[in-house]
Amino acid sequence: MRVHVVEDDAGVSDSLSLILGNVGHKVVAYPDAESLFKAPPPEGRDAVIVDLSLPGIPGAQLVRWLLNLATPPRVMVITGQSQSFIDHQLRGLQPTWLVRKPLDADTITRVLPAE
Amino acid sequence: MREFSSPPGPLPPPTVSEARLLSVLDTAADGIIVIDEHARILIFNKACEKMFGIAAAEAIGQNVKIVMPIEYAREHDEYLGSYIRTGVKKIIGIGREVRGRHADGTIFPLELSVGEAATPDGRQFIGILRDLRPRKESEQRLADLQSELVHLARVSAIDEMGAAIAHELNQPLTALMLYLQAIRRAHAKGVDIVKVVGEILDKAAGEAERAGHIIQRMRQFVEKREPERHVRELDPLIDEAIDLTLLGQRHRIRIDRKQGTNLPPVSVDPVQVQQIVVNLVRNAIEAAAGMTDPAIHIRTRSADGTVVLEVQDNGPGIAPEALPKLFEAFASSKRRGMGLGLAISRTIAQNHGGDLLVDPGGNGKGACFSLVLPAAAAPADVG
Repeated sequence: MRVHVVEDDAGVSDSLSLILGNVGHKVVAYPDAESLFKAPPPEGRDAVIVDLSLPGIPGAQLVRWLLNLATPPRVMVITGQSQSFIDHQLRGLQPTWLVRKPLDADTITRVLPAE
Repeated sequence: MREFSSPPGPLPPPTVSEARLLSVLDTAADGIIVIDEHARILIFNKACEKMFGIAAAEAIGQNVKIVMPIEYAREHDEYLGSYIRTGVKKIIGIGREVRGRHADGTIFPLELSVGEAATPDGRQFIGILRDLRPRKESEQRLADLQSELVHLARVSAIDEMGAAIAHELNQPLTALMLYLQAIRRAHAKGVDIVKVVGEILDKAAGEAERAGHIIQRMRQFVEKREPERHVRELDPLIDEAIDLTLLGQRHRIRIDRKQGTNLPPVSVDPVQVQQIVVNLVRNAIEAAAGMTDPAIHIRTRSADGTVVLEVQDNGPGIAPEALPKLFEAFASSKRRGMGLGLAISRTIAQNHGGDLLVDPGGNGKGACFSLVLPAAAAPADVG
């Protein structure tokens, strides 16, 4: 299993990868949705962490695409935006987890425990 | 020279019609003093009693010098004598700003107009006096209120950007927390982290610094300060303001920024000018947000001794019916905000000797706002 991190903020992406890596996950980081599309698609046993506010293709659109895959991965949406923004963006989408920033390591490792 | 200060004899008591006249004078809001050609006070109304802190009973019969500062008092007899001798009017029928003296010694500004009347008892001079302090105070108050309002508009702008700024702060805080927790966890597990801990701590410190910068930028903008003037290059101020506006900006938007070459510096209150830029850029982003390829152009150029900043969006333009009230306070067509932005921005521009103009666009063209600021007069002041 791999954890894909789609986050444009270098600091958040790097620190998330560090935590996940320390737990023992294999981490692949992408700065935007476009670069994830260029890589092999995530598998059903993978997890994808998606920041809702991405440059280019919006985070919500990536989430929709991921959930519509034949064997969808688990999807964790992370965001620092307001609830109204989240509701507006996700309209009907059901990601596996929704976590508001600031994130903390306990939350992350609870939902994505060491293998 | 004649001596005007010594009264020739006691004054007769007032007649009935004089008493009526006095009661009318006493209801006047302005101070009224009537003197004879010896500068003796004949009438000293209620407003004067309050203005100078002298009772009418005490003032009447005295030389009018008692309500003047010493330096005027010395020359007043001479002025009056000169007028009576030569007929040359220095104040009569003209009115001017003079200073009065309260019984407690306070010197204060007065507007004085003087009329002259020929009476059976000889020439009399009627002075109407208005204490200028309330007017000067209200002018000061107006200036203070305006600067309050300018500040309020800045706070309101930051308030409206609050959610976006919170998001922007969340990024470094998230990274900071995760870095620290990574170290904490490794430490708790007894993992040897000596090799990497320095690097992680550096990154954590960098994130904390980043959060600090965001707060600092915001604070500079919101803090209340006296208006000031500095000779500055306009472009760096504009770039900082654009950065502030784009903090946590959720709309994806293309910003085309062009700087004019060899622009002269401007003499400005930097924060107030940035306030205009933040306002214009936010409006432009909002106007362009609905388009398929939202974009704004931010350009500077020089023209006829001025420096011009243009902010153009590719939105639908400004509706003709919104145009007349565009720069009026509280007339905003937006659902959010106080509708102060453009009104305040134009006021600031005009206080700087410049202006804020608009080309409303429409028919497929977006609106374009131009901030015009006069080039700083003396380049020697740069620094």
